[in-house]
Amino acid sequence: MSSTVTRSDGAAPGAPRPGGRARDPAGRGSDRLGAVIYRFLRSIPAWVLWLMVIIWSVPTGSLFLNSFRHRDDQRASGWWTSFTEGNWTLENYSDVLSSGQQTGGLWQALLNSFAIAIPATIIPIAIAALAAYAFAWIPFRGREWLFIGTVSLLALPNQVALLPLLQMFAGGAHWTIPGTETVLTLFPDFSLAGTATAVWLTHTAFALPFAIFLLHNYISTLPGELFEAARIDGADHFTIFWRIVVPLSVPALAAFAIFQFLWTWNDYLIALTMLGAAGENYPATIKIASMAGEFGLREHLLSAGAFVQAGVPMLVFFFLQRFFVRGLLAGSVKS
Amino acid sequence: MAALWGAFIGVVISVGASAALFWGTHRLFALVERRWAIVAAVSGAIVGAAAGALLSGIRSGPESEPLLAGSQLVWILGGAAVGGLAGTVAGLRWPLSAARIGAVQSRLRALTFVGPAMLFVALGLIIPLLRTIYLSLFDKRGTDFRGLANYGEIFTNAQSLDLSGWSGIFGSQLFYGAVVLFALMAAIALYRGRRRGVRADFSPGTVGIGLGAGLLLSFAVFASLRGTVMNNLWWVVAVTFLSTALGLLAAVIADRVKRESLAKSLIFLPMAISFVGAGIIWRFMYIARPPQKNQTGLLNALWVWFGTLRPSSGGAWAAVAVLAAVTVLLAGLCAFGVRRRQTAIAVGSATAAIPLLWLIYRFVGPGVGGSVAGPNDEPIAGTILFVQESPYNNVWLMVVLIWIQTGFAMVILSAAIKAVPADLIEAARVDGADERQVFFQVTLPTIVPTITVVMTAMIVLVMKVFDIVRVMTNGNFGTQVIANEMWQRSFTEFNLGLGSALAVVLFLGVVPVMGLNIRRMQRGE
Repeated sequence: MSSTVTRSDGAAPGAPRPGGRARDPAGRGSDRLGAVIYRFLRSIPAWVLWLMVIIWSVPTGSLFLNSFRHRDDQRASGWWTSFTEGNWTLENYSDVLSSGQQTGGLWQALLNSFAIAIPATIIPIAIAALAAYAFAWIPFRGREWLFIGTVSLLALPNQVALLPLLQMFAGGAHWTIPGTETVLTLFPDFSLAGTATAVWLTHTAFALPFAIFLLHNYISTLPGELFEAARIDGADHFTIFWRIVVPLSVPALAAFAIFQFLWTWNDYLIALTMLGAAGENYPATIKIASMAGEFGLREHLLSAGAFVQAGVPMLVFFFLQRFFVRGLLAGSVKS
Repeated sequence: MAALWGAFIGVVISVGASAALFWGTHRLFALVERRWAIVAAVSGAIVGAAAGALLSGIRSGPESEPLLAGSQLVWILGGAAVGGLAGTVAGLRWPLSAARIGAVQSRLRALTFVGPAMLFVALGLIIPLLRTIYLSLFDKRGTDFRGLANYGEIFTNAQSLDLSGWSGIFGSQLFYGAVVLFALMAAIALYRGRRRGVRADFSPGTVGIGLGAGLLLSFAVFASLRGTVMNNLWWVVAVTFLSTALGLLAAVIADRVKRESLAKSLIFLPMAISFVGAGIIWRFMYIARPPQKNQTGLLNALWVWFGTLRPSSGGAWAAVAVLAAVTVLLAGLCAFGVRRRQTAIAVGSATAAIPLLWLIYRFVGPGVGGSVAGPNDEPIAGTILFVQESPYNNVWLMVVLIWIQTGFAMVILSAAIKAVPADLIEAARVDGADERQVFFQVTLPTIVPTITVVMTAMIVLVMKVFDIVRVMTNGNFGTQVIANEMWQRSFTEFNLGLGSALAVVLFLGVVPVMGLNIRRMQRGE
């Protein structure tokens, strides 16, 4: 055993191992000590990892503990004193959910978050699955370039589209044909600014490149003989898509759905931009961010509020982690 | 509840419309084959009606009268009649051959599959992108052409780019630390090279020292060259590098410990938390309260507690005793390493002892942590203003994103490590490679493409960092970043030109990444 241990710690590559041991001036007597030391050294990485785990968990854990402490306790002492003091309460949670002057009104905000995240998850899936199938299995001219062009938009920062999109939702999109005075309406004015619809429409557009990329990665690996056989039986693309591709792609669809749901639930930028001053439509992220900004009466509710907002994604995360990870992997490892 | 109903109706309408479109085209294609003339007539009518509607709807300005006078309905009906007639004639005149049916069908089918996505991408991404670029050349109301003046403003304004502190780089301890590390790296590489008969031999550890030196150097540079643009670059460099490095570390270690999935889940958990929530979580960690009060933030509480360990209070001696014991153990380990000719152990333990010796000196002498000696040598708490003190408050904000993104890097790199073919590793073991050699010469080279992917994904994400900065400082105290500046200019001041120019700067920042992605995809196909 000691020879493999000695080998695994040091010595330049290619150095003669037996020679290394023969040079050991301490001889056999210290070999037991050596084994102990080597075992200790080899356990160091595990200690580093668990230290990292602790450091990574403390911030969330401390917020969690704080959310059960009374307002005065939160102001007077750190969360670690609550282990000895006890004195827990659920008041913060009931206060932050109910709506009122000095409470959070987070219940309505949670509903708003669902109102944004659900359409923003389902609609891109439907649209992107169709496109991904076509990019993978329907040959047409310019397919490759269209696909690469679409997917390269993955890296596009949302910021470059926000201002024109807001203008479009607020007043429609009009294009004056150059050289003439004529105006062509590309998108009518539905006065969508400030509504959840504007938010999920924006999410849908921004999600498509990633969705198409991820679903294409999966759908293009489905066995082609399956489609061939179906085509011989007289099935057309619609039938193949609906009867074969969709059922077989459920894992990829689920992975994207979870990914997109978490993303839209946690989004702040797009909702803030599209909703503007329409406070009654704010999702939970904007609500807790504005509570954090006011440094006042409601500060003791902030930890509970942050936890309520994070509760849904954490549940999703714990129960569906495998799908979420699969979505991440499909999005980045394969290409 | 009204909001949820709205969402429900939205989903029903969108999905319903897609299904109807689908089914409709499906039937249509069946019809095209059998009743070509009728289809031609109907589609001619539709095209005609659309043309009528479009033409009569065109106005010479947003407020003025339509270009074509008269009732729109008449135009639409007229267009439909003319188009329908033309379609019927054409359909009877040129019956379709089977081959042509097939060609038309396959093109139309591809269009129905790809069309909705392309419509969304065009309306939601491409046209807005072009319009943003266009607006960035105009003034704040979007009416007067200014050329590149907005960009000039971004790069000449001291708020966004302030290079006047460049001489500070050479005065900072970080810079000298980097120089020492670079020198160390060169010395080790040359020494190893001489032993092996080449000019310089870079072992993985040597390269690691070099990377650390580069990071220190970048911190020295970014702490001296200030401004929004520099802050953004600092974020990109520090978060990308540190998250990937920590994620790789965690992935490699987790691969060989018990309870791997528990450890990975806990490090990965922050990925589920929103940036806003993460900002709030870390605000609680960073709280600094007046010195005479209890500290409620963990970091400052620890800092102040260390400060109370002073020689006069006796606490310092306990600390010194513990530190000295550890130092003695490290010295023993170093001696062991020297006797066994294990350079890594000897050098490692000696290096680890340096900060301990420094800490002992601090405990005995000037004190450690947040406290200064009062008039009677009693400790007075001194807190760190993590969020307010520039320029390093930037780093404390970056910590939040690193905390989130390490899990991302870890999960992906961990999967890549597990995907390294087992027979490759087995072959290396049979050839006599030890654990370290297997990692650095088999595993690491295999996962380099994945590391690249992780880093490019991270660059794209970090480039547009917004939520964390907005929630924690809103760009105050010298922490402004481009995305937050863009938001403030665009949506609080409604300065369309400058806001758009800032967005375009962000876009230009990711263009190289986009190019890289495109090239990778082309190679992949």
